[in-house]
Amino acid sequence: MSALDLDFMRKVANVPRGRGVLLCIQCGRCSGSCPIARLVTDHNPRRLMEMVILGLRSEVLLQGLPWYCLSCFTCLDRCPQGGDVGEVMFAIRNLAAKERNIPAGVVAQARSLIDTGRVVNPVKSILNKRKSLGLAEIAPTGVEDVKKILKRTALDRLIRSR
Amino acid sequence: MKYAFFLGCLIPARELSYETSVRKVLPALGIELVDMKGTNCCAPFSIQSLDYASWLALAARNLCIAEEMGLDILTLCNDCYESLLMVNTTLKRDPKLKNSVNEILSEVGKEFKGKTDVKHLVDVLYADVGVDKLKNAVKEPLTKLRVATQPGCHLTKPKRLHLGFIKEFGALDELVRATGAETVDYDRREMCCGGPLRDINDELSRSVARQKLMDIKNAGVQGIVTVCPFCFLQFDLGQLEIKRHFKEEYNLPVLHFVELLRIAMGMKLENWETKSHRIPISDIFKGRL
Amino acid sequence: MAEPAVLVVGGGISGMQASLDLASRGIKVYLVEKSPSIGGRMAQLDKTFPTLDCSICILAPKMIECSHHPNIRLLTYSEVKEVSGSAGNFIVKVLRKPRYVDEKKCTGCGICTEHCPVEVPNEFDEKLGMRKAVYMPFPQAVPRVVTVDKDDCLDCGLCESMCQAGAVDLAQQPEEVNLNVGAIVIAVGFDLFDPSEIPAYGYGRYRNVITALELERLLCASGPTGGHLVRLSDGRIPKKIAFVQCVGSRDIRFGNTYCSSICCKYSAKDAVLVKEHHPDAHVRIFYIDLRAFGRGFQEFINRARSEFGIEFIRASPGEIMEDPATKNLSIWYEDTVAGRIENLVFDLVVLCPALLPRTDAKELAKVLGIEVDKYGFFKASDDITSPVDTTVPGIFACGYCLGPKTGDIPDSIMQGSATAARVAEVLMEG
Repeated sequence: MSALDLDFMRKVANVPRGRGVLLCIQCGRCSGSCPIARLVTDHNPRRLMEMVILGLRSEVLLQGLPWYCLSCFTCLDRCPQGGDVGEVMFAIRNLAAKERNIPAGVVAQARSLIDTGRVVNPVKSILNKRKSLGLAEIAPTGVEDVKKILKRTALDRLIRSR
Repeated sequence: MKYAFFLGCLIPARELSYETSVRKVLPALGIELVDMKGTNCCAPFSIQSLDYASWLALAARNLCIAEEMGLDILTLCNDCYESLLMVNTTLKRDPKLKNSVNEILSEVGKEFKGKTDVKHLVDVLYADVGVDKLKNAVKEPLTKLRVATQPGCHLTKPKRLHLGFIKEFGALDELVRATGAETVDYDRREMCCGGPLRDINDELSRSVARQKLMDIKNAGVQGIVTVCPFCFLQFDLGQLEIKRHFKEEYNLPVLHFVELLRIAMGMKLENWETKSHRIPISDIFKGRL
Repeated sequence: MAEPAVLVVGGGISGMQASLDLASRGIKVYLVEKSPSIGGRMAQLDKTFPTLDCSICILAPKMIECSHHPNIRLLTYSEVKEVSGSAGNFIVKVLRKPRYVDEKKCTGCGICTEHCPVEVPNEFDEKLGMRKAVYMPFPQAVPRVVTVDKDDCLDCGLCESMCQAGAVDLAQQPEEVNLNVGAIVIAVGFDLFDPSEIPAYGYGRYRNVITALELERLLCASGPTGGHLVRLSDGRIPKKIAFVQCVGSRDIRFGNTYCSSICCKYSAKDAVLVKEHHPDAHVRIFYIDLRAFGRGFQEFINRARSEFGIEFIRASPGEIMEDPATKNLSIWYEDTVAGRIENLVFDLVVLCPALLPRTDAKELAKVLGIEVDKYGFFKASDDITSPVDTTVPGIFACGYCLGPKTGDIPDSIMQGSATAARVAEVLMEG
């Protein structure tokens, strides 16, 4: 176990979507509801909150834990204290991303977004089918604007460095 | 009723039959779809997980395009719907955040004004068209067809975002019943299809879909009705993937709700549309396709 | 100036205590109760904590005293409709709903009930059992007279013809009674949160998921199963029972951010009672915090653990699902102390719902002109220094209608006595 970051909870609470961690009473209703927690012992929203509260920064940000989440919001809807666990998960992933902890599949989607304006594009056979059906062409879209936006938010740089 | 039509990424790439059915059915119900030009990806959960400001700006850019068209947005995908709705709601409510997002958008000549609303197909059919009008449009009711509906996570959760126009699963069930079909409840209906983890963690994504299929199978239905391309993919293509990895077969045909409606309205599906379903659908419709 | 008189609204333990204290001082009390009998929630309970006294056994003497006391006039099956005036001189309009039975003539013999052809769910048994359209709400009811539920009555007239005392009067009319009192005491108690508002727990859909109050009726000898604790789905004896705490309490989603203050205690008590009924049963209590403060409660919890083998698991369940074949329930939860996600099967699940103000409390508050707090409980004029005074001088409140400040039985009795003292002050100023 690494050194504790006693300020970690406050940090997460002050990142967008992270506020809810301050309200967690560790009741376990979220983990009792999480579809992933039932399949993977590693993923447990309550434990993740606990780790944030205790200051286990590297365990939270540098491992695969936050990326098992489905963002299905079941936990958020069931939390009795407004802990917004599902939202705090996003805050944690944002912080994890800054540490370059991003799964390959997400990097691929982000790259596609930067290059074509979409996270997934039709394959050649589909493009042809669309043509034969008279459906609108699917070409890269809004690419200039997307590039400018993601340059401004530095996400572009983050993805390229991965 | 006229809407700015936001197609999203997944449907035009992998589910053409959803697109074609929408383009046939909605005009027949009096809805005009105006294609949005130059939109970018809505910024689904994977992208939202990377950076907050990027998400807000990317989604807001699409909202600006709709504002410029002077129309509300109609989406067909739960993820697109929730991403755009969340950003729309957040920016409308928080002027400081709106200003900082507009600062980013000014670089691309756009300004979010908060003048548009985001709607899902279910929302439009239920609230704007109405169940009665749907019933009238149904020429060949699908009586005796027993289906399970998959509302999907992002149509119904977080509840506080969706309260007011989607009550639990009531709206979707009513719409399906308007076609004459019977909807059957099943355990954990609000559980996720596993879609958000597709291509990120396929093993988990499959396991979650499998649990859903098991629950649905236990309810004794003939098919599944979805309103989101991810749910559709997870259940339709998903059954083939689950067959390969778990050696289990569920034989549950999956349909987009708008396809169900189309068949009930007496508009036959094209051959390629029927074939695009990886789990065959012809059996449950006995020559009505 | 009229003779000193007090109106007490609500015939539960708290209201009865206030009435008895005042009556014994020579003050005239009008005790108005909405339902056909006084007794309140305590009459529905099997045994009280932590002493495990039979609830009705300790309640009934007070009920009898109330009905026999020369200074107490019982107005049951009645509601307060209008209040005007001020401390020392209130004018109150009470509506006596017709029970279609002459209270003076009815002997409570029960022949009418025996012959009545109509059966409807019994509210006193939390609708688990049935009653007739002409009925005694429970065996120890006071006054010991029947009531005709005209909404479900077929008007067949059998009760009228069978009655030896000529007490049935199917043409009875509502009666308005005007009272002039110097002070008013409100003691209307609580209602339960409806757990079907939490769909994940299956209440209302799954027969073997019940509330704690329903459990009390099943445990009680005068209840719908004659005191045999059995499952509602098949009448079998449950072997694995789960209690779930904080169902609706401490939950911002429903606006009930407070702790209902008595559930940790009563669930431990109920768990012990379950074990007394079925010593081989496996009983598990799911809690977030164990709040067992005050007289003897921590000791009781310790006994529950060590002597009765009841398990306490720190987990708030995520969801409850039913096996359609056996109607058993499986609970998904995380044992937060062990850090393990688990799924356990039970054959009976008891939910401990939040305790809420009565559904008509706001209406009553309007009639009285008193304020309610943000939850709908009656507001004290000062929570610390005058906790049983409402915001209107001369009107006092006691028991759970004041909120979950404490709320167990001795506290309700104490508050009843406290209001009696406060009332006496107002009347003496007269």
